[in-house]
Parts: sequence; C-alpha cells; structure tokens
Amino acid sequence: MTKSLRALLIASTAATGMAFAGAASAETMKIGITQNNVGVDSYQTTYEKAFIEAADANADVETVVLDAGGDVARQIAQMEDLIQQEVDAIIIWPTNGEAVIPAVRKAHKAGIPVIVTNSNIAEQGFDFVKSFSGPDNITQGKRSAEIMCDKFKEMGIENEAQVVHITGQPGYTTAIERAKGFDDRLPEVCPNVTQIDKQPGDWNREKSQKVMEAFLVKYDDIDGVYSGDDNMGVGALNAAKAAGREGIIFVGATNFAVGYEAMERGEYWGSIYQSPVDDAKAALKTAVDVLNGEEIPFLNYFDTPKITQDNMAEFDKPVF
Amino acid sequence: MADVTDKTEARTSGPRESGMNSFNLAGAGRLLARQGILVAFAVFMIGFTLANERFLDPDNIMGVIRSSAILGVMALGVTFVVISGNLDLSVGSMMSFATIVVLDLHDKIGPALAIPGMYAMVLCLGAFIGFLVGYLKLNSLIVTLGMLSAIHGLTLTYSGGKNMDIADKEGTWFSVFGQSDVLGIPVPILLFALVASVLGILLAKTPFGRKVYAVGGNGTAATFSGIRRARVVFTCYLLSAFCVATAGLLQASRSLGSQNTVGQGLELEVLAAVILGGASLLGGSGTIFKTVIGVLILGFIQNGLLLVGLQFYAQYVVTWIIIILAVWLDIAAKRGKLWSPIA
Repeated sequence: MTKSLRALLIASTAATGMAFAGAASAETMKIGITQNNVGVDSYQTTYEKAFIEAADANADVETVVLDAGGDVARQIAQMEDLIQQEVDAIIIWPTNGEAVIPAVRKAHKAGIPVIVTNSNIAEQGFDFVKSFSGPDNITQGKRSAEIMCDKFKEMGIENEAQVVHITGQPGYTTAIERAKGFDDRLPEVCPNVTQIDKQPGDWNREKSQKVMEAFLVKYDDIDGVYSGDDNMGVGALNAAKAAGREGIIFVGATNFAVGYEAMERGEYWGSIYQSPVDDAKAALKTAVDVLNGEEIPFLNYFDTPKITQDNMAEFDKPVF
Repeated sequence: MADVTDKTEARTSGPRESGMNSFNLAGAGRLLARQGILVAFAVFMIGFTLANERFLDPDNIMGVIRSSAILGVMALGVTFVVISGNLDLSVGSMMSFATIVVLDLHDKIGPALAIPGMYAMVLCLGAFIGFLVGYLKLNSLIVTLGMLSAIHGLTLTYSGGKNMDIADKEGTWFSVFGQSDVLGIPVPILLFALVASVLGILLAKTPFGRKVYAVGGNGTAATFSGIRRARVVFTCYLLSAFCVATAGLLQASRSLGSQNTVGQGLELEVLAAVILGGASLLGGSGTIFKTVIGVLILGFIQNGLLLVGLQFYAQYVVTWIIIILAVWLDIAAKRGKLWSPIA
C-alpha cells in the first residue's frame, strides 16, 4: 500500500514538476526525502506515514518521498535523482553515516540544503549539512539513568543496588550514544549503584532474553536492568519472569507498545518517550524553517520526555 | 536375515555406528575417533565450567538447551537438505514469516486454527522451493538465497512492517509451547527431543532415509538404482519447512510478540551447527544426533562466553576460534592425525 502511494507521489510530483517547468512558482517548496529502510520496523513505517500526512497538511510543501531500502548504493542514486529534480531541500535518513557523505556533499555543492534526520552522519560530513533533526540519544541515556536512580531512592536501595545493562547493536550510533549517556550519568546521580555487567542485545528481543538469562544465572542480586530500547527491555523482563525473579526495576528507551503495556501491568518501570510522529514532523519543520531563512541550531533536537508508571497517563500508547 | 541386511546398509550408507557391538578397547577407540565432535564438546564444557562454576548449574543447562531448541529444530530439517546434497539458506526469513503469521492469525481466528493455518502456509513455501530445486533442478544456493529475501519481503508486506503482538498475553493457552514445563522439563526441549527422535529414526532406519543419503552421495548412481531423486529432494525441503514452522511456533509462543527480523541471520547459524556436527556440504553424510551436538556446542559457547563476561567484541572472535577448533578436532580424530600427511 505504502509502496503504491509512494509511486503515486513520485509520479505526481514529477508530473507537476514538468507542468510548472519554466514557470516554477516561488510559493511552494519542493522537499525531497530519502529514508533508510521503511517497512523494516514499525518506527520507520510510522515515520513515513506521519511525514506524508504532515506534508499534505502544509499547502506550501510539495514532497518527493523515497526509500533506500537499507541500501547505501540506492540511497546515493536517490540523492542524485533529487539533485537532478532540483528540489529545494533534501532530507536524508542515512543508511550509513559515512558512505553517504559524498552524495550529501554533491547536494551541498548544487546549492541544495541538506537536513539529516533521525541518526546523524559522521562528523567529517557536518560541513555539508544545514541541520540535524532528531532525538538526542545521549540525553536519552542520561534520562534513563535518572529514572532508574530516582526509583532506587524511592525504594531506599540507592546505596547497594546493582544494575545490568543491555545495549543495542554494537557499532550503531544510537546504541553507542545511549550507552554512553547512561554510563556517564548513573555514577553522577547514584554514586553507590554499581553496574555489574554490560552486553549487547542487538535490538533483538530474543537475543536480549538470552543475555538476561545468562545474567540471572551469573548474579544472584540484580536490582535494575537498563536496555537500549523497550523491545530488548521486554525480552529481559520475560527472562526474569520465567526465572521467577521479582522486584527488578526495568528501564528502557524508545517506548514501544509492548513496553507501554508492561508498564500498565506494573512489571516495567520506565522508558523514554520517542515518537516517530514527532520525529517526522520535526524533520519537515526543520526543512521548512531552513527554506524560510530562519535561524536554527545545527543540532535541532526534538524533545523525548521521561515516561514512568507514575506519569504514563499523560502519553498516548505508542502505535508501534 | 533382516537384521543382517540392516547392518550392511548402515555400514555402507547410513550413520556409522557399527563400532557399537564390539566392546573391546580398539572398538571404543574407533568409536571415539568417529565422534571427535563429542570430545570437542566435552573439552569446551569442562573449560567453561572451570571459568565459571555456575555454568553447570541445572537451571543454566536447562536454559541453554531451551533457547537452543529453536535453532535446533531448524537445524534438524536443514540436516536432511544438506545430506541430500543441497543447501537451505531461506530458513531464517521463513522462520520470521512463520512467527509473524501465527501471531497475527492468533488474534484473528484463534490459536487452534492459527497453528494449522501457519503450518499450511509455511509448507507451501517449502513445497515451492522443493519444486524449484527438485523438479526444475535449479541450483539450491541461488534458489534459497533468492527465497531468503523474497520471504523477508513477503513477511514485511504481510505485517506492513509493524511488530506483531498478541493482545491478551495473560489469557491465552498459546504460551504452552514456549513457556511451560512438563515434569520440570521445558516444553521446547521436549518438542526438540521429539522432533529429533522422529527425524533421527526417519533418517537412520527407514528406506526414505537411505534414499536421502544415496541422492546426496551420488545422485546419478541413485537415479540408476531407481530412486526418484526429485521426489526425495522435494520431501527434504518439505521436512525443512515443517521444522521451520515448528521453530516459528516455539518462538512466537515464547515471546508472544515479534519483530519482522526475528529469524534474520539464523540461516548461517543453522548451517554452522549442521556442518559443526560433521555433515558434508557436498551431501551424503551427517546424522541427526551429530547435528544436535553441533547445536548444543553453539548454544553453550554463546552462554559460556556471556558467563565468563568477556567483552563482546572479543566474543565474536572467540566464537569463531572455538568453532574452528571443534571442526579441527573432529577431522583430526577421524584421520587419527592432527594434520594431513599430504600437504
């Protein structure tokens, strides 16, 4: 369905582009986006839907929505297509933070502002990028540490608690940044809490469950588990439930529907609310602001608040 | 009379357990030599136990076997395909498909219908691959590599890219396959053992099993002996699909929710387990029992390294070293020398 919708959009934008060729109206902005891999997970699927809706709602914006299918070569080709089509701005969700830099540079040289969305490209490409719009993963890691520490204080175990840490896929920027934020912040807020082990769960629920099973065998006393996202967090929770270990505080990030439900059941303590809808809207708004000549920070983060069992009523259940 | 023919057949084409009946030292030595992989397994188990005494904790052992069961069931089916001289690289994405489908159908038509529905769909995929490889004689590497991404696409189309979760996780009996115990033994282990026993007997003790070895050992000779090659290959892929469906059932029941990529990369782990067990990629050799050992070695390596607490960058390297060591020990035991006399 999204495929045909996308094809339709491409076709229609191409057609209007041709119709208005020569007499291009200065009113509408033409914004192209090349996404990482729509359809591979719920986050990206929801992101695309929200992006198209937000663009439709704005009469001044015309979009070309493309998806690289996780393929770097295809993404570079799409960047070149967008440059050829002379769009006013390009939004890119990099398939690879390094490999796309030459294509980004090409767009920059052609005078087209580039906005990076969701995950940033490598630093040597920053000169060619107008703005990065996305979540601040280091802050997310820090906030998760704070959520966990606050809960330990409430329980009165902030001086002896032991924490294990399940990270995302090694080498993945989001995983590295969240882990760093958590590792740095926890000793600041709860200096007597010890992190006794850290292993990757590869963003995978089953893998995370295996890792947690090993932790449970290895350590008799685990008070808290921090996972790089809720999907892995729920895997760890399943392991603890199967082993009959109770009273462990689970904190994650990127609140998924499964995490939200586990919070409703009182089994999972907290997470970071990161909405793909906000992510998509922020990317589009950043592009529009750039084209309107407004001053925007290079790192244009959208807010990702803390969510716990205490305040979850303020948030809608995530759709992914 | 029947007894005699059975033995000769086992000697020539079947699993080589013929040393069993002579209980002298030489016989035992020969047996040991043939089971080099068992020696390797024992060595690693002792090594990990020395590194962390909790490794041999019954809960841990049970946990490892339980989580290996999913990979294990898939490896059983792939063993048939590999012995018949073909490959199956599609099992990983097929398992994702099975998991997503059964979870989706669970909420739509109830678990009692969802399970047979899912099996039927996965068997259709297996039959399709079997048709292409068996009857059209297409190269199995290309066919199943293609199916690896085709089925992944199918899964994503089916689910629209969304995670699939059962709505009422507490109130469904569907969780029995993945989460409950019978007589203190987790159901996934029991199912794994059941499928392994049935397929083990099928492979080692029936005419069909002997045909699988014959087709993989020398296809032309098999044809001239009146074996219908295409049918045997087709059936092997059906068996593989059946095993994948069972693995998907275990996976779905264990977590009651799933990502679209749950089985991604498993095809290589499965193949590693089968080859580790001593099956030849060229076909014609391998047994279900050895595949089970291969699966357990992989499972215990993963778990052992976690318990040792090695940095995970190092784990990738160490896993590889252990696999190579195991294969070496197996080969060395078979030829009675650490390295080949012919350079």
